[in-house]
Amino acid sequence: MAYREELPAQCPPDTAEEITAEREVYRIVKTDPPTEDDFRSQRAMKPNTAFPDVSECQVRGLSVFSDRRDGEKLLKLPRMRGGLLAPIRLTPGAGRIQQTFKPSHHTWWPFADFDILAHCGKAQP
Amino acid sequence: MRTIRHTKTLFYYDGPQVFEARDAIGGHYIGVMVEPETGEDRFLIKGTSPESLRLFRSGALDLRSLLLDTVSDDWFLGTAPGGFSESFAITERRDPLDNSGFLPEPGFFLHDQVTADETLREARERNNLVMEVSVEPPEATYEHRIRVSTLAALLNHVQTVVKHAYGVALRDLSLETRRAIDKSNAHLLDVVIPAAPGSFRVFFEASKETDLLGQSELARALERVDQLFEHASDPARALAIVKEHKGHLAGAYLRLLKFLVETRTGIRYSWAEPGFSRPKAGSVSETQARPLVDVLSGVSNLGAEQVSFVGKLEKGDTHGTWRMSSPEGDFSGKVRDGGPSMEGLKLGSTYRFSCLEEIEEVESTGREIRSLYLLEYEPL
Repeated sequence: MAYREELPAQCPPDTAEEITAEREVYRIVKTDPPTEDDFRSQRAMKPNTAFPDVSECQVRGLSVFSDRRDGEKLLKLPRMRGGLLAPIRLTPGAGRIQQTFKPSHHTWWPFADFDILAHCGKAQP
Repeated sequence: MRTIRHTKTLFYYDGPQVFEARDAIGGHYIGVMVEPETGEDRFLIKGTSPESLRLFRSGALDLRSLLLDTVSDDWFLGTAPGGFSESFAITERRDPLDNSGFLPEPGFFLHDQVTADETLREARERNNLVMEVSVEPPEATYEHRIRVSTLAALLNHVQTVVKHAYGVALRDLSLETRRAIDKSNAHLLDVVIPAAPGSFRVFFEASKETDLLGQSELARALERVDQLFEHASDPARALAIVKEHKGHLAGAYLRLLKFLVETRTGIRYSWAEPGFSRPKAGSVSETQARPLVDVLSGVSNLGAEQVSFVGKLEKGDTHGTWRMSSPEGDFSGKVRDGGPSMEGLKLGSTYRFSCLEEIEEVESTGREIRSLYLLEYEPL
């Protein structure tokens, strides 16, 4: 299965799980409805930046929260000011996901065929 | 111009949003990602006291208060063009921070609740994996006391079980994932609180700090330890689990259980990473330990593992002792009665040796002695 972004070898790691059951996650977006730009990885946004302290696999994934409250907390930070919190319904075929910052932060590697925008709920402040 | 170095990421989302840093003379700083400038991530940096940082890590102080409630009004902006693996320069700002527009909203706590659990609180305050182990030997019945030899053996047994559990956990990962992990010192524990009140309690902290994502390699090992302890009250189920881990981990677990029987104590432990909502825990009571020892001692070669290596034979004699030099180091061992004959082997020639590796304990110390017994060889 092809991923939305080109990934390095062994990415996602074998500890990441394939999404086979529906679940909801949350991501900060700029507008409601969200746009494709809201779902670009760090690597896609900064193709020439070195990330020596994070794996290349990590910077090609998307940060999401499984707990809405963590997303709401994130909106208090200055970098996220003016952002909106969008729920995303992940269904089988959405890609692979791994908990990467306990308790609720996950890194999501979407499959290329998964229509993210069609699975977004209303984004709210 | 001042320079600082990132030390710990405290909150991550598409990059480190909140982190700790130190300067060249050990001063503590908190960094917060703000609006980028010319496309580069930019950070608000503020000096802070270790005590304020501890309160923030534990969830007792919010980020805005931490930034405003510090000993100095000095604050800085900086970018990290080379990433966080090297020091980066920060520029002092003269305008007041509270009018800068860079402050977070009130109410950003690192944890939603301040925990009453001591293990979890230590894990959060240290921002690292913490493990608490408590034992109740007879000498601890009436006061906070433990024999020196019992404490030394306990520490060795705990470290040994964790070391072998880490080895088992790594074997289940793919070769590529294993190669990608920095395994140096990942299995090591440091004693950080050598004696806490109550039953005799010791707090360990992972020797190695968490990675950028706040996760400790040591968690892999402790998840395996949890499996071993899970069925302590049911020897038959415990036996099945331990057989799944047959080898050095099973051997280390059995030696720990024997130690509990000898010293007439049970053991309880709990461990947590900073992001846990509650710690994980396990225990074996004194009365549970004996039947476990009985059932596990009935399994032959429970703690032995088969290993092989290639090297040059440097010594071999008719008494069945041998020594081999290989790229991984020098190995020496024996041939047991009924084992392969060493007649005809040539010193200086290269062989593949397949051996049974057994680990025994130096009596009542928890320290390990490895022995290799040759099973078969192949000339190369």
